[in-house]
Amino acid sequence: MNWTQTLERVRSAAEFCASAGLTRFRIDEDELAIEVRRAPRRAASALAAGRGDAVALESAPHSANGASAPGERPATVLKAEFVGIVRLSRPAVGAGTVLAEDRELAYVESLGIRNPVRSGGPGRISAVFVNDGEPVGYGQPLFEIESGR
Amino acid sequence: MFKKLLIANRGEIAMRVNRAAHELGIETVAIYSEADKASLHVRNADRSFCVGPGPVARSYLNIPNIISAALISGADAIHPGYGFLAENARFAEICADHGLTFVGPAPETIASMGDKATAKAIMAAANVPTTPGTDILPSVRDALDAASELGYPVMLKATAGGGGKGMREVRTPEELEHAFATAQAEAEANFKDGRLYMEKLIERPRHIEVQIMGDSFGNVVHVGERDCSVQKPSHQKLVEEAPAPHLSDKTRAKLHDVALSAARAVRYGSAGTLEFLASGDDVYFMEMNTRIQVEHPVSEMLYGVDLVKEQIRVAAGERLSWDQKSLVPHGHAIECRINAEEAANNFAPAAGTLTDVALPGGFGVRVDSHAYAGLAVPPFYDSLLAKIVAHGATRDEAIDRMDAALGDTHIAGVNTTVDICRTIMRDATFRRGGFGIDFLPSLSLRSAVAASP
Repeated sequence: MNWTQTLERVRSAAEFCASAGLTRFRIDEDELAIEVRRAPRRAASALAAGRGDAVALESAPHSANGASAPGERPATVLKAEFVGIVRLSRPAVGAGTVLAEDRELAYVESLGIRNPVRSGGPGRISAVFVNDGEPVGYGQPLFEIESGR
Repeated sequence: MFKKLLIANRGEIAMRVNRAAHELGIETVAIYSEADKASLHVRNADRSFCVGPGPVARSYLNIPNIISAALISGADAIHPGYGFLAENARFAEICADHGLTFVGPAPETIASMGDKATAKAIMAAANVPTTPGTDILPSVRDALDAASELGYPVMLKATAGGGGKGMREVRTPEELEHAFATAQAEAEANFKDGRLYMEKLIERPRHIEVQIMGDSFGNVVHVGERDCSVQKPSHQKLVEEAPAPHLSDKTRAKLHDVALSAARAVRYGSAGTLEFLASGDDVYFMEMNTRIQVEHPVSEMLYGVDLVKEQIRVAAGERLSWDQKSLVPHGHAIECRINAEEAANNFAPAAGTLTDVALPGGFGVRVDSHAYAGLAVPPFYDSLLAKIVAHGATRDEAIDRMDAALGDTHIAGVNTTVDICRTIMRDATFRRGGFGIDFLPSLSLRSAVAASP
């Protein structure tokens, strides 16, 4: 599949997600996974997670139905996409850390390659599930972040 | 000996390897996909890593994540089981590059035996009888010429093939053109290699294979033969037994000798199987499987040896712990594969949740299984749920014991092959033994005719 086709598929996934009133929609195939996430009260945002991306995004259960109370920020769990050792980036974040903008929270070191885990935007860290130097498996939760300023 | 072994597989074979490792005092690391989180093989291992989502390309074939799991857990060896990465020469090389011992033969051996045409040429050079056939056929024209020289019927085969894919039986020149095109397309789609060759079709052959085991010092033994003639239309095995019934002593000795010379020809240093087609007293080399096979327990029960433990020991650089004289068969052993399949619907795979699982036991019965009540059978993988093995003093006793064991087997929630296996145990042709690989297709036909009003 070329880039144009990939983008076309991401676009139709985003449209479907919006029209069906979902906050999260994921298609998993052998070569490609497309995950579209729509934050309540914000424009639809899309993320195509190919094999080369370090993190998968998933809405936390309490906001997954999109019925968050007014003022409550959507929480997202960042998960490991690679099996490796997690290294927390400095300054290390903890529960309560406020991020003014997108930044690297950690990287997963796998076969000598650093696979960055980024916040994806401003927000507040609500939980850190791993310790520096800990081995992590695929899909293991790393951070929970409430996005937005 | 190894300290920690990563088992790059799932289901019953991952549990089988896990047991062998624990008996040898080796710690184990399991890998699993998101669809296999609740699998028993994960629970039984000392440690486990999720390596990807359900589809095999992203989990059980995800080489970077598997190697990374081995490295961060401090494993010093990887056992591939069967299927998945077991016969992937590149994976074996990558293991070596990362200082991990691949439990299996050398990468070059995997590569040469994995290419059917190369394997056949090596075996022919070692005086192993092979089916009369051709080299790779560039075109239909060449195929037509070759077929008229060999004489119909012939079999078209994909050089990268396996599991019956890219294989076509051709009985007349008129059929050849279409068969060539479809076999080529199927091989291209399945193996990304559409090259075909042709063999003379041995009519209604028996499938007989010889288990071998070698070490890195050049010692090789055979652990007898297995008759695997009960095959589904797709050529997948359903029932296996050892020793092969109604085989003359002369033919049996010839098979064993030929298997040993074949193993020596490739300096084989692990567990492996040489598959032959047998017709009367003639045996023809078909292919060599450079892995531990699904049906290895049949030979284990017959000879009273643990093939997986031995495979791990020789991979760790130890000498073979048996010589040929110490290997003596006792009685008869039969294995039935209990698959989540619909036998009446051409063995179509069935997925679902197992609502009830009661497996047999008792004297002379062995069950290798990862099934339990509540287990969801994912749609991504092989349909094998359990292997039931019955051992008896005679073939008749083994069959009766298997029949009783199948009667004690209760699996609900998905369709299984329990009933068809029971029908086979009670079939007169099966009880006589010595039939060809057309046995099961013709049995299914007979049952369908009997069932119709």
